Amino acid sequence: MDTFGALLNGFSQALQPTTLLWGFVGCFLGTLVGVLPGIGPALTIALLLPLTYHVPATSMFVMFAGIYYGAAYGGSTTSILLNTPGESAAVVTALEGNKMARRGRAGPALATAAIGSFVAGTIGTLALTFVAPWVVEAALAFGPAEYFCLMVLALVAVSAVLGNSVLRGMISLGAGLLFGLVGIDLQTGQPRFTFGNAELLDGIEVTVAVVGLFAVGEALYLAWQGREARGGEVMKVTGRLWLSAADWARSWKAWIRGALFGFPIGAMPAGGAELPTLLSYYTERKLSRHPEEFGHGAIEGVAGPEAANNAAAAGVLMPLLTLGIPTSATAAIMLSAFEGYGIQAGPQLFSQQGGLVWTLIASLYIGNVILLVLNLPLIGLWVRLLKIPPPWLYAGIIVISIGGVYGAGNSVFDVGMLFFFGGVGYLMRRFGFPAAPLIVGLILAPMAEQSMRQALTISQGEWSTFVTRPLSATLLAIAALLLVAPVVWRRLRRGR
Amino acid sequence: MTPVRVAGLLLLLCAVAAWQVTQIPESALQSAVGPVLVPGLVVGGLALLTLGYGASALRGRQTDESLTPGQEPLPGARARLLSLLGGGLAFGLLVGWIGFVVPAALCGMGVARAFDAPLGWRSAAVCGSVALIFWLVFALWLGVGLGPALRWPGAAA
Repeated sequence: MDTFGALLNGFSQALQPTTLLWGFVGCFLGTLVGVLPGIGPALTIALLLPLTYHVPATSMFVMFAGIYYGAAYGGSTTSILLNTPGESAAVVTALEGNKMARRGRAGPALATAAIGSFVAGTIGTLALTFVAPWVVEAALAFGPAEYFCLMVLALVAVSAVLGNSVLRGMISLGAGLLFGLVGIDLQTGQPRFTFGNAELLDGIEVTVAVVGLFAVGEALYLAWQGREARGGEVMKVTGRLWLSAADWARSWKAWIRGALFGFPIGAMPAGGAELPTLLSYYTERKLSRHPEEFGHGAIEGVAGPEAANNAAAAGVLMPLLTLGIPTSATAAIMLSAFEGYGIQAGPQLFSQQGGLVWTLIASLYIGNVILLVLNLPLIGLWVRLLKIPPPWLYAGIIVISIGGVYGAGNSVFDVGMLFFFGGVGYLMRRFGFPAAPLIVGLILAPMAEQSMRQALTISQGEWSTFVTRPLSATLLAIAALLLVAPVVWRRLRRGR
Repeated sequence: MTPVRVAGLLLLLCAVAAWQVTQIPESALQSAVGPVLVPGLVVGGLALLTLGYGASALRGRQTDESLTPGQEPLPGARARLLSLLGGGLAFGLLVGWIGFVVPAALCGMGVARAFDAPLGWRSAAVCGSVALIFWLVFALWLGVGLGPALRWPGAAA
């Protein structure tokens, strides 16, 4: 079946009332967690994961996709009205968005963010629809050696390119790999790093680690600082919640450019939405006919980065769905969700679970429309949410987190692990270690080890298999380049 | 806590992990790579990176948010942390005895206290409501195994 036919089939499934309802719930929840500081899509999906295994996989992934897209939409509201981004990719939006709000133009800022997110999200989804089948075709030629090298590339890219320090990124990755190896070795059945504890034989639950790092770790950090309790000033939604002709004229090109930055960068192994949002912001500042407005509330500075953010969200789904490689914390949790349902993400996904994949992709188009409809009319509700006092907000987050983890296995040991990872998350946040490499390492460690061992079994123990096969050698070379390039670049800049 | 101490903690983790690598039983199965190689490489790599981090920290080149102007903790940081951790501890100790709702509410109160909300009826009411609603939605409606909402201590599970 051709791509278009498969997509139409996906639409017929995604428009079923039940699937649509799950998509709506996902979009609503996603916007909610995007709006609320201290809770993001990775944490939300991780929390929902063990609670929802009795729901059919298609419905669940449609909901997760809604949460993922919705969080990208919702982050802008907090950036614009509170100057506190709900998620990292919305940091750039705060630069101009909050200034616009302070100048009485919160309405147009929210409108350009929402419409730009819709436009770029749709462009990104279109790109995903038509590029993904090509990637799948190419990936079908991958053997275990290529897979191992691809995972090495993804691990290095997430650790070395993102964040401020290659060293701290690699330490975070090393810790993630170490935690990922805890439990029974899948090939020989030998226990590793279990300390003789039966609770560790199945390995460390990804949910426990993610919720600990993001929810408990964040709460511990903010409690330690003691500044969150004072809260911030929530700006009033002033100005019409729509765009004037002049605003449209200044926004539409920024949306398109943002989408063009967001999708390809989001789809790369380093993934993420931070880089494309930054690139989009600086491009808009360079190209704007009103450069003097930048820093004081320029609408292009909201339109471009918000578009880049949403297109990147679609881009991140590409390596996840086509190669089974997560390039962000949220994608890593979604990969873990696939595993939980016994589904192998990667090129086989399109042939073995074609219905699920195309329903998921179709639901992204529908989700974009839902989010556009949901965002602007419900802005009053989101503003009210921003006024929840921090003590009750964080108490709620931790109670839900503990309940989610305890409910998954009815295990007090898991609750203890939750607080252990909370402590790790606090230290990482305080001392500048990025969390994404740890999570991606935790999830990819067993998979990478399996691929490596399969490749070595096929090559009868010849390690040269990784460098003599052209594709795997190229992937390893790119990984090495990514590892070295930031250090060299920094030295060169310091030398100037 | 300082970056140097973080390096110390990481080295301790590496030492414990290295000891655990030596405890991995040899496999009777013939394979190109046994169960020890990858854990050994990961622990070795992490130890090397940690040494690099430690050396850099000793030269004062690693960051600590508490030293960034505007980010340093306000007085009472330790008490706030203990309050939050105490909430978690209360949950862990009590949930098997008295059901889900009261320990979860106590945990929430500990967290709220960590964010400067006074311990009192208001805090108990808000956190108790959150815990009860969570239990009703997930345990009663979705069938998630959170155990009973309330249980008398000593009653059979």
